[in-house]
Amino acid sequence: MEEALAMGVELSSAGLGRAVEVAAIDGELKKLWEADDASTNASLMNFLIYTEDPSQLTANSETILSLTQENACRALLIAMDREAPEPSIEAYITAHCHLAHGKKSICSEQVSFLLKGKSLGRLRNTVFAHLNSDLPLVFWWQNELSDLFEEGLYRLVDRLIFDSSTWADPTAGFERIVAAREDTGQSMITQDLSWTRSYFFRLATAGLFDDPAAKKSFSAINKVKIVAQKEQRTAALLLLAWVVELSGWKLLLKNGDSFELSSAEGNLIEASIEWNEDGAPLSELSFFSPDCEIKITRERGNPHLCQSLCTDGHCLYFSGPADADAPADLVASQLSRGGKNSLFLRVLPQFFELL
Amino acid sequence: MAERSVSNPFREDLVSRNRPDACTVVIFGATGDLTHRKLVPALYNLAVDGELPPGVQIIGFARRDWTDEFFREGLEKLNRKVSRTGHDEELWNSLAPNISYHQSEFQDEDGYASLAAKLDAADEERGAKGNRLFYIASAPEYFDDILLHLKKAGLSEEREGCWSRVIVEKPFGTTLATAQHLNQVVNGTFEEKDTYRIDHYLGKETAQNIMVLRFANAIFEPLWNKQYIDHIQITCAEHLGMEGGRGAYYDGAGALRDMVQNHLLQLLSLVAMEPPTDLSADGVRDEKVKVIRSLRQWDTPELVKENVVRAQYLSGNINGNEVPGYREEDRVNPESETEAYVALRCMIDTWRWSGVPFYVRVGKRLPKKATEISVHFKETPSVLFNAAPGGVPDGNVLVIRIQPDEGISLRMNSKLPGTSLRMEPVKMDFHYASSFGKSSPEAYERLLLDCMAGDATLFARRDEVEEAWRFVDNIERAWHESENPPPMAEFPAGGWGPTEADEMLSGEGRKWRRL
Repeated sequence: MEEALAMGVELSSAGLGRAVEVAAIDGELKKLWEADDASTNASLMNFLIYTEDPSQLTANSETILSLTQENACRALLIAMDREAPEPSIEAYITAHCHLAHGKKSICSEQVSFLLKGKSLGRLRNTVFAHLNSDLPLVFWWQNELSDLFEEGLYRLVDRLIFDSSTWADPTAGFERIVAAREDTGQSMITQDLSWTRSYFFRLATAGLFDDPAAKKSFSAINKVKIVAQKEQRTAALLLLAWVVELSGWKLLLKNGDSFELSSAEGNLIEASIEWNEDGAPLSELSFFSPDCEIKITRERGNPHLCQSLCTDGHCLYFSGPADADAPADLVASQLSRGGKNSLFLRVLPQFFELL
Repeated sequence: MAERSVSNPFREDLVSRNRPDACTVVIFGATGDLTHRKLVPALYNLAVDGELPPGVQIIGFARRDWTDEFFREGLEKLNRKVSRTGHDEELWNSLAPNISYHQSEFQDEDGYASLAAKLDAADEERGAKGNRLFYIASAPEYFDDILLHLKKAGLSEEREGCWSRVIVEKPFGTTLATAQHLNQVVNGTFEEKDTYRIDHYLGKETAQNIMVLRFANAIFEPLWNKQYIDHIQITCAEHLGMEGGRGAYYDGAGALRDMVQNHLLQLLSLVAMEPPTDLSADGVRDEKVKVIRSLRQWDTPELVKENVVRAQYLSGNINGNEVPGYREEDRVNPESETEAYVALRCMIDTWRWSGVPFYVRVGKRLPKKATEISVHFKETPSVLFNAAPGGVPDGNVLVIRIQPDEGISLRMNSKLPGTSLRMEPVKMDFHYASSFGKSSPEAYERLLLDCMAGDATLFARRDEVEEAWRFVDNIERAWHESENPPPMAEFPAGGWGPTEADEMLSGEGRKWRRL
C-alpha cells in the first residue's frame, strides 16, 4: 500500500508524468490504460487541486499520490501563473497506483495543467473539459480566493475545500464563501481545513463531558482556554465558536483574543485564546469550574491527544487520536468522513461574532 | 437518553449515529480466542479511531487462575498480531490500566458477588454510577448459569439513569426448545431492549449495504419482486475443514445449525424484507422477522427430501493439497451423520416473493472461501433476439459479495463488436477495496459500538431467533427422527457440492452460480 507504482509512464523530472497536447489528453489517457491489463482504473470522484503558485504543482502531485491510497479519483491539478506575459497551457498525464490489500493494483489517473497568462474563463473551461462525467467534483482551492473564484466556476463544484488559516483577510474570505453558497442554492458543501483541524479536540470534549462529574460541572464552567499557533487563529476561533454555540452561551464582550461570555443561566465565562508558536497547531482546550478541570492537550508532533478530567483532587487520564497537521492529511480525513458538514455551517455565525 | 443529550451539549451533531455511552465491559469467557482475537482488538481499534468513550473499563471473567498482568500481556501480544490498525504503544498503555481480570467459576455465586463489589468500588472511585455491558462469550453450556447469577447478584438491574445490557454470542440455542428456554432465562434477567444477540455477519459492511443498495437506489426496488426476479442464490463457501480442533463443536452442530439458522437466514431476510417504516431497530427487525415467519416450512421427510440436500465431503484435493474426508477429520465421529454441506430451496410465501425460490448453500471444503448473494433476473421475452446466433444470452445477475473482495457486480448482455448480431454477457463491477482504500471497521467494532449506543438494529431479536429455529428444527427432525430420513449425499473435497444439489436446480432449468 505504501508503494506507489508508476504505470507505463515515464515520469518527467517535475513528477507530473508525460507532457501531452491538451487536445490529446483523452486519447493519451486511453493509451495509458490500454498499455496495462494488470491494473484497475478506479474513480469515486473528480478531485481538483487549484493553486495560483505554479511551484506547488509538483508538491500537489505528491499529495495526490498520497490521497489516492484511500480515495480513488480522477485527479486534476491546475496551477495558474497569472504573471506570465503570454498566455499558454501545458498539460501532463500520469497515474498513481497502489496495491489494494497487498494484491490488486488500483490506479487513479492524474491530469495536470499549467495555465499561464491572464485569460478569464480559461480555468473554468479547463475544468469543464476534463471532468469524469457523473462523478462529484471535489475542489481544493489552495490559499487566497482570487477573482477567478466566480459563479461560473463554483456552480460546478459539489464540495469546496479551503484553508482559512492561509487567508490574509478571513472575514472577506468567508463572506465570499457564504455568497457562493447562496448562489448555489446552498448545495455546495464547504469544508474548511481549519475546522477539520479540531475534529479530535471536539470528539474528545464530547467524550469527556459524558462523564457524570463533568456533566454536573458544566453549568458552573467559568473559564475556557484555547492555546494554538498564531497562524491557526481561525482554527482556534472556530473551535471556540463550536464551544459557545453548543453550550448556548452568548458573547458579551470581545477584547482582542479574550472574550466575556454568559451562559443561559446568566453565569459569566471568561474565554481566551493564547498563542504558543512552539506547540502543536492546536495545543490545548481547557474548561474550568470550581469543582472540575477538563484539559485536552497535544504536544507538537505527537499523534495523540492527552485528556484529563480532575474532580475533587482526583484525576483521570486518557489518550486519544489527534488531528493530522499536514493539509493533505486533513483533506484525506475530511474525504473519509464525507457528510454535509452542517455543524460547521451552524457554527459560522458564532465564529463571525468572535472573529 | 434525551435527558443525557441535553446535559452534554457537545455530543450534538458530532457524528451521524447514536453516541456510545461510557461503560464497563465484563467479558465472560475472557481467556478464549474470541476475546483475544476479536473483542479486545475491536475495543482497541475504536480507541484508535477516537470512537471509544473515555473511561471504558474492561473486566475479563473466566475460570483460569490468571492475574491482571498476565491477562493484559496476553491481550497485548495478540493485539500486536491481529489489530486492524496496528499497535500503538501510547494508546495501548492508555487502555491497558482499564483492563482487569476477575477469576471465578461460572457457577460460583461468590464470584458474582465479588464482581458486583468490584464494579461498585469502581463506581465509588469515579464518584458516579456507571453503565454495565456483559458480554457472554463463554461456551454455551454456561449461558444459563451466568445469566442467573448476574440476576441474583443484582447486576442486571438498571440503576438511576445507568443501563445494564447483555450481548450473547452464538449459538443461541441448538433447537427451538433450547432457544426458547435461553430466551426465557435472558429475558428473566435482562429486558429485551437490553438484550443483544450478536450475529457478526450483520456487522459486515456489505451486509449493511444491502439495505442501502435496495432502498437508496431507485433503479432496484421496482424490480425487486416476483415480476422481474427469477430466483435468488445465497452461497457461503468455506475451503477450510475441521482444522484446529473445530470438529469437536462442528460435529455436534452441522452446517444447518451452525450457519443457516443464523447468518444465512439473516442475509436472506435483509434481501427479502419489505422497506421498513423507519431505520429504528424495531422498524428494521419487524420487517426481517416477517420474512422468516413467511418461510414455507419443510416439515415432512418428503418435503425435506425434495427441498434440502445434506452432504459430507470425502477426501479430495484443495489448492493442490490432499485433504481428508469429513469422517476422517480430527475430533469428528467416524460414523458421524452431521452434514458439512447443506443446500436448501426456500420459498417465502408473501405477495412479493410468491413462486420465487431462494437457493441457499453452505459448506466446508468447497473450492474457495466466498459468501455472496446473487439475484437472478428473469430473461427477456425471446421475440427479438431468438434468431441471433447463440440465441438470447442468460438473464441479468446482480451479485452482492459479502466476503472476501466485498462489492457488487451486475451482469448484463452486450452486442459483440462486428457486423453480425452476437451477444455476450459483460460485467459491471464495484469493488469496495478499489473504490474505498480505507479499511472497513471489523464487524465486532461496529457491533460493540452500537450496543454501547443502545442501537440494536444489527442484532437479532427474540422472535427472529425463534422463527429461524422453527424453520431449522423441522428439517433437523426429518433428518434425525423420521423412520425414512432423507439420505446423506457425498462429494469430493474441493468440489462445489454433491450432484444432488445441482439436480435440485437443474430440475427447474436453473444452475448454481459458478463463483
